[in-house]
Amino acid sequence: MILHIAKKEIHYNLTTLRFALMVILLPVLMIANALIYGYGDDGYITQVNAYNKQVEKKLSHVETYAAQGLGELAVIGPGDMPKRPSPLKFSANGTDEVIPRYVIMQEYGTASRSAKAGKFEAYAWKGPWTLRYPLNSFDEGSATHRIKIDWVFIGVLMSFFAILFTFDAVAGERSSGTLSLMMSNTVSRSQVLLGKSIGAFLTLMVPLVIGILMNLLVIQLSGSLSFDSGTSLRILGMVGLFGLLISAFIFVGLFFSSRVSNAITSLVWLLLTWVFLAFVFPNLLGIFVGNLNPIPSVDEVSLSREAQLNQIMDQFQPWGAYGPWGGSGETSSKLNQAPSTENPSATRQWATYFTAQKGIETKSLDEHIDKQFRQVQLARDLTQVSPIATFQYAMEGLANTGIVSYMNFVKQARRYRQTFIDFIKTEDRNDPESLHIYPVKEGLSQKPVDPDAVPVFEERVSYRSVLSQVGLLVLFNLLFFIVAQVSFLMSEIK
Amino acid sequence: MHTLWLVIQREFVSNVLTSRFMIGFIVCLLSTAVAVFVQVDDHEKRLVGYNTAIRESQAEAKNWKLYTDISAKVHRKPNPLGIFNIGMETSGVNTVVVEPDKPIWRRDSSSPGWGETTRKIGADNPFLAMFLSVDVVFIFKIVLSALAVLFAYNTISGEREDGTLKLVLSNSIPRDTVVLGKYLGGMLSLFPIVVVSLIVALLLALSSPDIAFNGNDIAHVVLIFAVSLLYVSTWYLLGLLLSVWTKEATTTLILSMFLWVILTSVHANVATFAVTKFSPHKPDSEEKVFQQTIQLWNDFRKERDDYLKKRGYDSPTETVSWHRDEKGRSGGSAGTFSMSAQWFLTESYQIRNLKGTDVSVLQEFLSYQEPLRIVYTDRAEEILRKPADDRERNAKFADFLSRISFADVYRFAVGAISGTDRQSYNDFLESSRTHKREIVEYLKDKKAFSTRAWFSDEQGAADLADLPVYRYQRFSLSESFSRASVDILILLAWNIVLFMLAYVSFLRYEMS
Repeated sequence: MILHIAKKEIHYNLTTLRFALMVILLPVLMIANALIYGYGDDGYITQVNAYNKQVEKKLSHVETYAAQGLGELAVIGPGDMPKRPSPLKFSANGTDEVIPRYVIMQEYGTASRSAKAGKFEAYAWKGPWTLRYPLNSFDEGSATHRIKIDWVFIGVLMSFFAILFTFDAVAGERSSGTLSLMMSNTVSRSQVLLGKSIGAFLTLMVPLVIGILMNLLVIQLSGSLSFDSGTSLRILGMVGLFGLLISAFIFVGLFFSSRVSNAITSLVWLLLTWVFLAFVFPNLLGIFVGNLNPIPSVDEVSLSREAQLNQIMDQFQPWGAYGPWGGSGETSSKLNQAPSTENPSATRQWATYFTAQKGIETKSLDEHIDKQFRQVQLARDLTQVSPIATFQYAMEGLANTGIVSYMNFVKQARRYRQTFIDFIKTEDRNDPESLHIYPVKEGLSQKPVDPDAVPVFEERVSYRSVLSQVGLLVLFNLLFFIVAQVSFLMSEIK
Repeated sequence: MHTLWLVIQREFVSNVLTSRFMIGFIVCLLSTAVAVFVQVDDHEKRLVGYNTAIRESQAEAKNWKLYTDISAKVHRKPNPLGIFNIGMETSGVNTVVVEPDKPIWRRDSSSPGWGETTRKIGADNPFLAMFLSVDVVFIFKIVLSALAVLFAYNTISGEREDGTLKLVLSNSIPRDTVVLGKYLGGMLSLFPIVVVSLIVALLLALSSPDIAFNGNDIAHVVLIFAVSLLYVSTWYLLGLLLSVWTKEATTTLILSMFLWVILTSVHANVATFAVTKFSPHKPDSEEKVFQQTIQLWNDFRKERDDYLKKRGYDSPTETVSWHRDEKGRSGGSAGTFSMSAQWFLTESYQIRNLKGTDVSVLQEFLSYQEPLRIVYTDRAEEILRKPADDRERNAKFADFLSRISFADVYRFAVGAISGTDRQSYNDFLESSRTHKREIVEYLKDKKAFSTRAWFSDEQGAADLADLPVYRYQRFSLSESFSRASVDILILLAWNIVLFMLAYVSFLRYEMS
C-alpha cells in the first residue's frame, strides 16, 4: 500500500512545474560545478602539481642538509610541509581561502655576530627551526565571494526543493478534498505519510543521482579525478548524506504541511525555516561565538611573544648588551664563547639559550592556533543544530577539505615534529664523537645522515569525525519523522 | 480616486489579516534584531582596535626625530553603517604604512618576512571567516523579498481561482485602477515590516554607547530604507506580473519561489565563482612581479652610480669623508653608512654615528638620490600593485555579471550608500597613496632631502610639527547617492518595466 501511495505521489510530482524547474536547474549547476572545478584556474591538477613540486623541494632540502651533517639538519628542520590537496574539493570546497595549504617546518633566517676584541667570539647560527603556521589573508569581501558552487551548495538547494515538493503534500490534498477520500480507504495514516515521503524522496533523489553522474563524467573527462575504491566509496557516502538531508527536509515539510490548515501558511513557515537554517542561523551563531569567547588578536599574541623573546635575549645577550644592530657595547654575556665541538660548556650555554627561545616561540604559536581552533570548533559544534550545517561539515569531512581537515593536518605535523626530533636524538646517540647537546649544531653529530633514514611525513586522513555528523543527521531524520507522524496523526482531515 | 483607495484598502486589509503577514513580520523583526545585535558587538570590537591603533601611531609619531623616521600609519576607521551592511568592513587590510620610499601594495596571501606596507591588524581568528557575515541588508535581501513574493503571488491568479476577480471587474472599476490599487495595497502592507525592522535596527545600534551616529549617518539610513522599499517593490511587481501571466495560484507560487531562490542565492554566487575560476584578467605570478621589481632597483642603482661617477666617486659610501682615528682606521665604530636592498622590493640604507664627520658631499648626494629613489618607489608600486589591480578588475567583472539579478543590484546600491563596498575600500587604499604624495610634497617643499636632519639629529631634530595629517572623509548624502545612482536607477528601471508589463498584461487579461 505504501508503495502504491509512493507511486501515485511520484506520478503526480513528475507532472508538476516544480519538477520541471528542478530538472532544468540541477543539471545546469552540476555541469557548471564540474566545468569550474575541472577546467577552471587553480583546479585539482594545478594544485597537485604544486603539491608534488613542494614535496620534491622538501626531499631535496632533506638531502642537501642531511649531507651537511646531522647537526645542520637538526637546526634547519625537515622543510615546509604541504597539505595534500583533496581530489573531491568540487564536492565540498570548505572555505579554502582561509585555510593555509602548508605548515612551515624550516628555519629561513640566519643570525651572526662578529668578533669583538678577544672577548666575543664570532659566530653565525641558524635556527633551530620551529613549527610555524602561515596565515592566509584574503581580500575577497562580501558573502558572495565565499559561497562556492560545490555539491554542498547544490545540497542546500535540494533541501529547498524538498520543501517545494512537500509544502502542499497534506495541506493541498486537504483543501482539494482528496485527503478525506484517501482516508476513507483502509490505509493507516502513518502509511500515507510514509508513502508520501518515499514518493517525494525518490522524485528528488533520482534526478540528483543522474546529475551527480553527469557531474562525475565531466570531471572525469577533465582528468582531475581518478576513481579508486576509496574515492568511489566517499562519493557514495556523499550521496547518502544528500539522502539524509533531503529526507530530513521532507519530514519538516510534511510536518508543517499537516500542522497548518493552508498550503501557503505552510510554505511561509517552511521558507522562513529554510532561510534560517541555511543562511541566518549558522552564520550568525558563528560570528556570535567569536565575540562571546574572545581570544587575543594576532598582533597582541605576536607582541607578547616578542616581549618574552626580548627578555630571553636580555638574559643571554648573544650580541652583547646592544642587541643585534648595536655597534660596540658591553660584551659580558653568557654566550661570549661560540659553541664548538671542542667547547662543550659554551655549547651547553647556547643550547639553554636556544631551548628557552624556541620553547617560548613554540608555546606561543601552538597555544594561539589551538585557541583559534577551539573557537572555530565551538562555533561549528553549536551550528550543527542546523541540519544544513551538519550536512556541510559531513561533506567536508568526506572530501577531506575545510577546517577540520586542516586541524588534523596540524595535529599530525606536530606529531611529526616530535618524530623528527626523536630521530635526530637517536641518530646522534649512535655517534660517539658527538657532544649530544641538542639543539646546537656544534653539539650534535657532524656526520652526514642517510636521507632515506629521515622519517617521512605521511598525512593520514581520518573520517571518524563524519560519523558523529551522520549520527546527528539520522537523529534529525528520526526526530522530524516522529514530529511529522504525530502532527499528521493529530491533524484534522477537514 | 475613491475606488483606487478602496482597492488599496481591501488589499491591505486582506494581506494584514493573513498569518503570513504576522509570521513574516515577527521573523523579519527578530532576525534583524539578532543580526544587528551581533554586528554591533563586532563593530565595537573593531572600534576598540582602531582607537588603540590610532593611539599607538600617535605615540610613535612623537618619537620621530629625523625626516627618514617618518612612517605614518593610515588606519581604516570602522564605519558605523557597517552594522547595516558589513560589505568589506571586516575583510581586506585596515592599516597602511605610509613611507615615501615604500611602495603601497597588497598580496593575496601573506607569509611572514615580507616588506609589506599594508596589513590587517586586530584580527583575532582568520578561520572564523568561514562563517558569512549576516547583516540587515542580507536579511532584507532574502527574507523581505520572499515576503513580497508571498504577498503578491495570488493577487490576480488567486482571485481568479476564487472567482472574486470576476466580481471585482464586473464593477465599474477600470482595470488599471485594480492593478495600481493592488500594487499600492501590497506595498502598504509591506511598508510597516520594513519600517519597523529598520527602526528596531537603528534603535539597537544607537543603544550602544560606543557608536555615534551623526545626522549624516541617519540620513544615510533613511536612504537605505528608501532603496529597500524600492527593492521590495521590485519583488512585489515580479510576483504580480507572474500572477497575471499564470492561471493558477500554485503555479505562480512555484514559479516565483524558483525565481526567488535563483535571484537571491544562486545567480550571483555562480557568476562570482565562475569569474574567480575563469578569470579574464590573469594576474602575473608573484615571482615575475618580484623579478621586475628587482630589475627596477638595479636600474636605479645604475642611474645613481652613473651620477656618482660623474662626480668622481665610486660608491655612495665615499661621499662621506670619514673621520679617522689615530690609528688611521676609517669607519668602524666611528660611523657607518651602508646601502642595502633590505627587502629586495625596496632600496634602503643606514647612516649611523657620523660624529664630527664632514657630510656636505653626502647631503648634496642625498638631495640628488632621494627624489630619484622616490620616483623609483612609485614605479615599483606600479609593478607591485598590478596583480591586486587585476584581481580587482576580475571582482568588478563578477559584480557586473551579478547585476543581472536585481537582488544583487540592491546589495551593491546599499553598499555604495553605506560606504562599505569594494569601491570604498579601494578609495581607502588610494587615499593612503594620496597621503604619501602629500608627505613627499611636504618634504620637497621643506627641501628636507639636503638637510642634515634627514639622517642625523646632531644639529637639531627635524621640525615635523606641520607634517600633513591623514584625513579620510566619509561621503555626504549627495555623494553617496550619486555613487549609488546607477544601481538605484537599475532598480527603478526594473520597477518601471515590471509595472508596465504587469499593467499591460492585465489590461489584455482574458477572463475565462
